[in-house]
Amino acid sequence: MSSFLDRERIVAPPGFSRWLVPPAAIAVQMCIGEIYGFSVFNIPLTRAIGITKSIDGQDWKVPQVVLATYSLGLVILGLSAAFLGKWVEREGPRKTMFASACCFCGGLVVASFGVHIHSLLVVALGYGVIGGIGLGLGYIAPVSTLVKWFPDKPGMATGMAIMGFGSGAMVGSPFAVELMSRFKTPASVGVGETFLVMAACYFVMMNFGMLIVRVPAPGWKPEGFVPSTHERKLVTTAQVVADEAMKTPQFYLLWAVLCCNVTAGIGILAQASPMCQDMFGVSPVVAGGFVGLLSIFNTIGRFVWSSASDYTGRKAIYVVYFLLGCTLYCLIPFSQSINSVALFVVLTCIIISMYGAGFSTIPAYLRDLFGTFQVGAIHGRVITAWSMAAVLGPQIVTNLSAYQRAHGVPKAEAYNTTLYIMAGILLVGFVCNLLVRPVDPRHHSAETGTEGTPARA
Amino acid sequence: MKKTSPLLVALAFLVVAIPLGWGFYRSVRNSMPLFTAGNAAAAAPVPAAPKAP
Repeated sequence: MSSFLDRERIVAPPGFSRWLVPPAAIAVQMCIGEIYGFSVFNIPLTRAIGITKSIDGQDWKVPQVVLATYSLGLVILGLSAAFLGKWVEREGPRKTMFASACCFCGGLVVASFGVHIHSLLVVALGYGVIGGIGLGLGYIAPVSTLVKWFPDKPGMATGMAIMGFGSGAMVGSPFAVELMSRFKTPASVGVGETFLVMAACYFVMMNFGMLIVRVPAPGWKPEGFVPSTHERKLVTTAQVVADEAMKTPQFYLLWAVLCCNVTAGIGILAQASPMCQDMFGVSPVVAGGFVGLLSIFNTIGRFVWSSASDYTGRKAIYVVYFLLGCTLYCLIPFSQSINSVALFVVLTCIIISMYGAGFSTIPAYLRDLFGTFQVGAIHGRVITAWSMAAVLGPQIVTNLSAYQRAHGVPKAEAYNTTLYIMAGILLVGFVCNLLVRPVDPRHHSAETGTEGTPARA
Repeated sequence: MKKTSPLLVALAFLVVAIPLGWGFYRSVRNSMPLFTAGNAAAAAPVPAAPKAP
């Protein structure tokens, strides 16, 4: 069994189509991206005992549930990606995807047991810790594999994989709602049973990806691919190992770039529904529709913007994310002042598309600067910025708007200061991006690259 | 040299496209109230907002 999972067993033979790898990556990312849609379980989990309503002192509270599942899962995602990145590179994508499937789906099974015995600790251990490890492994393995298969279009390749993660909520949320409605009985909210069915379905889908994934043979190049002979300052053909990358300023600058981009975007995403209602007085149903629309743009943006970066270069596309994002944030209070819901929706949809794009473009940026050798491990360490941003963004929006309201600012205008702060955070990211320079050759490893030069950075 | 069948590639994409398409359809359907109720909201001056869920 172990040899079947080994990297040596999945080296692609001549004639293998690299286009079989994107579905493998999307299959895994789409399943683990379910964490984005976990909020559909929040209310049912707070009624596990009371069923129709939460019973004080017996049932869990929403913040407890969010902390034990969503927040813990994202923190463990960052940590496991950071600490297991080198293992992922050494063992290859098949073993990693299998480990990810076992952890993520096994975590759902443990969480189901936790719901059954009504132990939040067991739910946290299952979904947050074990599932979180599966998230970290499943997030970086397909990305680093695709980067190696598409030296000519690394932005498009990472865009496809991470688009899969973004779509996780689009698929997972309605799937979970359907299952809960089927399993709900007068004695159960149906969450435990839903976890079990989702674990089984996701295990099949993730192992579909595990079975078809391949790594390119050493020295492989796409048919007809001629590496550019133009010197591109930020694109290296050298390799930098993960430990050495952490000694470079570029690593920390890109960490800050990701952190700023995600902090600004996640602040909107996490508060989209109440923000829409408070600023424009729309009903919760309409606000729910707005959230649905954002999830579509979050998914599409990951692919479209990242693919565009293959033509513009990574540094230039981040300039667009930050400057355009900053401008659009500053326009949101204007949309509120003229009471234009349509303008608000357009602005936020573009902002969220660039939020998703920040995730999908970063692996290609890392590949440009550090080469492909340990890009998965380096990517794993950089996405700890996401864990930080996942805490920062929503906290800034929630606390500042509450502070504004408490000090007499009308509800409709309570978000304005927050939005300007978000614009400022994007400007910090803009400066960090401008400071990115090529990696000093003293950090280059003796490992030589097997691919040519990708797009401009 | 055995080349990968394009049919196999199409099938692999189909396996992931089916759930993705279903999720996309559900999201579009859920976002419809935004467009159908948007005009009513836009026509009113900034009203007292209902309590956020």
